Amino acid sequence: MFNKLSRRAGSGVALTMAAALMLTACGGNGGGQAGGTPDPNEEVTLNFTWWGNEDRATRYNEAIALFEEQNPNIDVNGTFMDFPAYWEKRQTEAAGGGLPDVMQFDYSYLRQYGQNGLLMDLTEYVGNGLTTDTIDETLLATGKLEDQTLAVPTGYNAWSLFENPALIEQAGVEGYEGGTSWEDYEAYMASVSEAGEEIWGGTDYTGRIQNFELQLRQEGRELFTEDGQLNFTQEELAEFWGSASDLRESGAVIPGRKLEEVAPKSGFGANLTASEMTWSNFMGGYLGDTGAEDLTILAPPTSDPSVKDLYQKPSMLHAVGAQTEHPEAAVAFVDFLINSPEVGEIFGASLGVPASETALEGAALEGPELEVKEYLDSVSDRIGEPPAAPIVGYGALENTFLTLGTSIGLDAITPEEAAQQFFDEAAVTLGS
Amino acid sequence: MTTIETNPTALPPVEANRKRRQPRRKTAATVAWIIGIVLLTAVVLYPLLWMISASFKPSAEFGANNSFLPQNPTFDNFFKVMEGVAGIPTWKFFWNSTILGIGAVIGTVISSSMAAYAFARLDFKGRPLFFTMMIGTLLLPFHVLIIPQYMIFRNLGMIDTFFPLLVGKFLATEAFFVFLMVQFIRNLPKELDEAARIDGCGHWRIFWSITIPLIKPALITSSIFAFIWSWNDFLGPLLYLNSPDNYPLPLALRVFNDQTSGSDYGATVAIAVLALLPVMLFFVIFQRFLVDGVATQGLKG
Repeated sequence: MFNKLSRRAGSGVALTMAAALMLTACGGNGGGQAGGTPDPNEEVTLNFTWWGNEDRATRYNEAIALFEEQNPNIDVNGTFMDFPAYWEKRQTEAAGGGLPDVMQFDYSYLRQYGQNGLLMDLTEYVGNGLTTDTIDETLLATGKLEDQTLAVPTGYNAWSLFENPALIEQAGVEGYEGGTSWEDYEAYMASVSEAGEEIWGGTDYTGRIQNFELQLRQEGRELFTEDGQLNFTQEELAEFWGSASDLRESGAVIPGRKLEEVAPKSGFGANLTASEMTWSNFMGGYLGDTGAEDLTILAPPTSDPSVKDLYQKPSMLHAVGAQTEHPEAAVAFVDFLINSPEVGEIFGASLGVPASETALEGAALEGPELEVKEYLDSVSDRIGEPPAAPIVGYGALENTFLTLGTSIGLDAITPEEAAQQFFDEAAVTLGS
Repeated sequence: MTTIETNPTALPPVEANRKRRQPRRKTAATVAWIIGIVLLTAVVLYPLLWMISASFKPSAEFGANNSFLPQNPTFDNFFKVMEGVAGIPTWKFFWNSTILGIGAVIGTVISSSMAAYAFARLDFKGRPLFFTMMIGTLLLPFHVLIIPQYMIFRNLGMIDTFFPLLVGKFLATEAFFVFLMVQFIRNLPKELDEAARIDGCGHWRIFWSITIPLIKPALITSSIFAFIWSWNDFLGPLLYLNSPDNYPLPLALRVFNDQTSGSDYGATVAIAVLALLPVMLFFVIFQRFLVDGVATQGLKG
């Protein structure tokens, strides 16, 4: 249970005290001079927060220790949580005015927080405390909203297709070549499912909104219009979901029931499917889940290889809270996290393939991480402009899409009904 | 006489029959009962047993081996968990949870019983209004209060300390417990208080020597609930504690399982089992009193 500060007489004193303090405390936000490096004589404490598991926590602690060694006057308090709880906490802090100085940020929340003025505009620090010319321009643009630079990407990934060579061998079929037509990929999945026992060629790809986006981009379109509305019709969505009904009926893809059994692992992670499309930074997680020694990473299918359908997605970004009292120190810390070769070495590609050239040099990638980097280089011809920063409520829509996709896989709903539901919910989420 | 003589001879077989039939009926019913209860218990306990069994599965078996028992049982999960998180030893999380739990129990028992005594026995101006307001706080969804509360504690500079999580407990803000005790005290005979007053007791003495001993069942019930709620509370610590050093168990549990950076399912289940043990022990020891408390309450009501 939660402590309730009621209006009862006992806590009236606390309330009065709080009100008095609030009046005095709200006036004290240090504006600071524009740009520049932090004053080396000023004792500063920065709050820094990220989401992730304990492996990431160990790495961040190492990086923080190094930063504190280089900047003896700056003290960094690192805190961490898992992803859903992390955003729950940020939401309360944003409303209560207590966002940390530096935050690991997610692309899908950038617009929501940026629009409300909760993130500091870093533009005036660029080239003046914050080096960004080490980062590819289209990737750097993902941290911008209108004219403001609100966040800097730590690393990037792209949509990709994973294949498990051990399962391919077990089934005794040809592996997928990568980057061929959708029909080709479907034929490949069918061949694996027919050959192997309790092995399927892949997961029903229509369950993920990213695959729908991929097909739209192959036609030169985006998921959303510029003013943040859906850029496809209900019929098109129903057709997309329906397009895989043959795969589901013939058993070329893993049945929905089987997927539910192994959750929270995916079919691929549980060694049940030979391939799956997802973000390239899943390499590490999938190696752990499958226990495989080696996984192959390939280009997803395309209807037209000359179209720039893929894009570099920032795996995560670093942002500074608008209310920070030490903007120079916060920017210096962000710059350190993004560009320093030592940080690159500490993290490798665990935050995505480093966005900054200097960090990438320090990272000296090898093994599976190098494979991911090589994959990203190999599809550079297919990488185009990233879509605009996700609309507010994108996370909810992505989730709805996934849930409806699962229901279709379980035969609980037809593609037409699902499309109807998606549009109903989108109308509420997008307020149209 | 003949009838009297024949009767005793006729009776024994009947009695014997009845005696034999009665136990048989009893056995059949008992067996049915036991089977029913065991089945029901198995259904209820299955998740718990699954969790304990799963804590011995290596991480790779999650998703691959759906059977109840692990194929390659191992203690590694527990060793991994005892190593702690990012340089913080696991006992620290247990310690934090313990402080919060015990603090919540002490605060609730002291403050709620005093508030309840005031509502039940003191006649002050506006008592019905204040009582209604207190009950009213039960109806307030606590999500409404999160942000204002957070702002108050932030401006008081209490973020990242245990104060926000404990202050409310010491101010009798859990209306549920106050209400429980008010009902209990109202059912105590007023004559006891009056007798004490004639002997020269003031309110403190009446409260301490008459009321407290008599509402012990209510105090024990409140303590158990306060401890369990505090032990399981996730949102409060999430919002108010920043430093991993201050995390209680529910927060530490989540750190082993982040979907975006790889999950160690084995370790998650193992620490969940460890986190359950103290609260289960607490319950086993105190449930005798809990049942007692609720039963006495029923009698008095």
